[in-house]
Amino acid sequence: MSDQGYFGQYGGSFIPEILYSSQQELLKHYREAMADPSFIASVKKEMQEYSGRPTPLTFCPNLTKQIGGAQIYLKREDLNHSGAHKMNNVIGQGLLTKRMGKKRVIAETGAGQHGVATALISARLGLECTIYMGAKDIARQYPNVFWMKQLGATVIPVTTGSQTLTDALDEALRDWTSSYEDTHYLIGTSCGCEPFPEMVAGFQSVIGEEVKEQAMAQFGAMPDKIYACVGGGSNACGIMLPFVGTDTELIGVEAGGRGDGPGDHAKRFNTDQAKFGISQGYATKFLQDDQGQLAPTHSISAGLDYVGVSPILADLGDRGLVRMTSANDEEVIAALKTLIRAEGIIPALESSHAVAGGLREAAKLDSSQRIVINISGRGDKDIFTIAKALDDKPFNEFLHSYLAQE
Amino acid sequence: MTELAKFIKKERQTKSILLMTHVIYGYPSIDESLQMMKTLLDKGAAILEVQFPFSDPVADGPVITKACHVALQSKPKLKQCIADISALAKAYPNARVLLMSYLNPLVQYGFEELGSDMSGNIAGIVIPDLPIDHHKMAAPLVAAKVNPIWLIIPGMEKSRIEFVSEQAQGLIYCVSRKGVTGQGSDSQSAREELQRYLGEINQFTDVPLALGFGIASAEDVKGIVGLVDVAVVGSAFLRAFQQGGMAEFAAKADELLSVK
Repeated sequence: MSDQGYFGQYGGSFIPEILYSSQQELLKHYREAMADPSFIASVKKEMQEYSGRPTPLTFCPNLTKQIGGAQIYLKREDLNHSGAHKMNNVIGQGLLTKRMGKKRVIAETGAGQHGVATALISARLGLECTIYMGAKDIARQYPNVFWMKQLGATVIPVTTGSQTLTDALDEALRDWTSSYEDTHYLIGTSCGCEPFPEMVAGFQSVIGEEVKEQAMAQFGAMPDKIYACVGGGSNACGIMLPFVGTDTELIGVEAGGRGDGPGDHAKRFNTDQAKFGISQGYATKFLQDDQGQLAPTHSISAGLDYVGVSPILADLGDRGLVRMTSANDEEVIAALKTLIRAEGIIPALESSHAVAGGLREAAKLDSSQRIVINISGRGDKDIFTIAKALDDKPFNEFLHSYLAQE
Repeated sequence: MTELAKFIKKERQTKSILLMTHVIYGYPSIDESLQMMKTLLDKGAAILEVQFPFSDPVADGPVITKACHVALQSKPKLKQCIADISALAKAYPNARVLLMSYLNPLVQYGFEELGSDMSGNIAGIVIPDLPIDHHKMAAPLVAAKVNPIWLIIPGMEKSRIEFVSEQAQGLIYCVSRKGVTGQGSDSQSAREELQRYLGEINQFTDVPLALGFGIASAEDVKGIVGLVDVAVVGSAFLRAFQQGGMAEFAAKADELLSVK
């Protein structure tokens, strides 16, 4: 990382002047906190005692046999409290919020996992919590909204624009412009202005650090390849950054959606529909049209449905240190079914992208190689979307009869 | 002193305050937005700020955000927008036209080309998500005599006000209160505090000052006469149009321009 939060040509701080002083304050507190062993210890303690870390590295004997290539391991971020890697980041930023003496957090959420994680940590730390969520995402992920509300959070539906994650992020930024004195903006992914990309990736790097230790303990070597899905990029940064510059190949899997046309996917790499741009506080590869308007996106998973990408990954991609591929909606559902049946593990739709990318390549590798796929979250929350994708008629009947009981 | 600053100082010899009016290019349609701009210029607005719509206008409030999204449905092109408002600037030599745009459309257009296309017709540019720290990005505009209009906000540190003042040309946009645009008018209560705030800025610069955020009525404008050179009216015109179409829009223009 260079000065002012740049990663190559990406990153930086492009925020309205009104946010300048709160950003500077955050930077100062963040740097001080990271240099304070007692803060680092409190984050580690909370990760262990509240979230249940370390999460296991699980070998998949059945899947490995079925695919017939590399040895397949899963990093089980789905076993975090809240069911996703999002918990790592909210613990860090939640404790930082307390340290700064702020009383309220705001957050944007796509799939709702970051919203739930933020609401959980807010309840635990006694913080007031407001979550911005696209109205379209609320419709797709109501169970998460239900839990956020039960946890005492205020969930505000965002009805502007595409009504998804990018609009929720805009709206949260607007809130912050008028509330920064007592409010911390708890960004859920490694995007946004300095220091958010570095900070979120930093709190998430516990994932990759654990993989290093577990790989040594379990098979006495580093993995040959690591796969992670890439939406904003926080789980990918988390598992990958500790391996950058080592012999382990790092592969990001983006949302291929339903096709390659504009608005049909959320790929920021390997497409000419995404290019260098500056918006939402930072520079990265944005899906955009010829006028620089940010483009609509699609993915079967709300959590990968984002128009930009972590500036850290954009830079690592340019430098050839991370290879980006994608998996389309159909491949994702197939991979999900395969993993569920083979190992009794239900991955989130987001994580199923990494599974799809990993299984596709594992088949071409030989049995001396070991791959690690990051299961960033569990799939229980996706039950409605998955049941629909699998065309499970009894599920619809269940819903009808459930409503009929009202 | 730049041409824009000279223009403002000259106009101020006969007027107690100038009005900087705001229209979104393409809202509700390109033709109607051009009609709104002409209406304002016909009625004697000294400065017209034309916002090129953006998909993610993070520094704007809900009224302008929604209008931007409506405007985007007619697929506005920045090149055509610049051509259209340059033509207006030529047709109304007694007024000055400014462009307002978020950074990304400008980045895609390229600052060199932007400078050459705007030069001579468009006096200045407001870029809400370009912090002063990145002022060098706007250097091709400065070279083309298009003045970047920088923001100063309440509570800004002296050293940063000084930094802005060093770069400022034509006009400085002073934000009158916290938050995003268009959320109701402020009370008159804070005139003294406003005086202190503006006084601090005047220590560092003789570039004309504009004051904005929350100015919606003739009374609001009167309230700041004597404090600044320019009153910025943002979403008030938009709200008037949404309430009663062009008639209400024109009435709002008459009201605000009645403060001489």
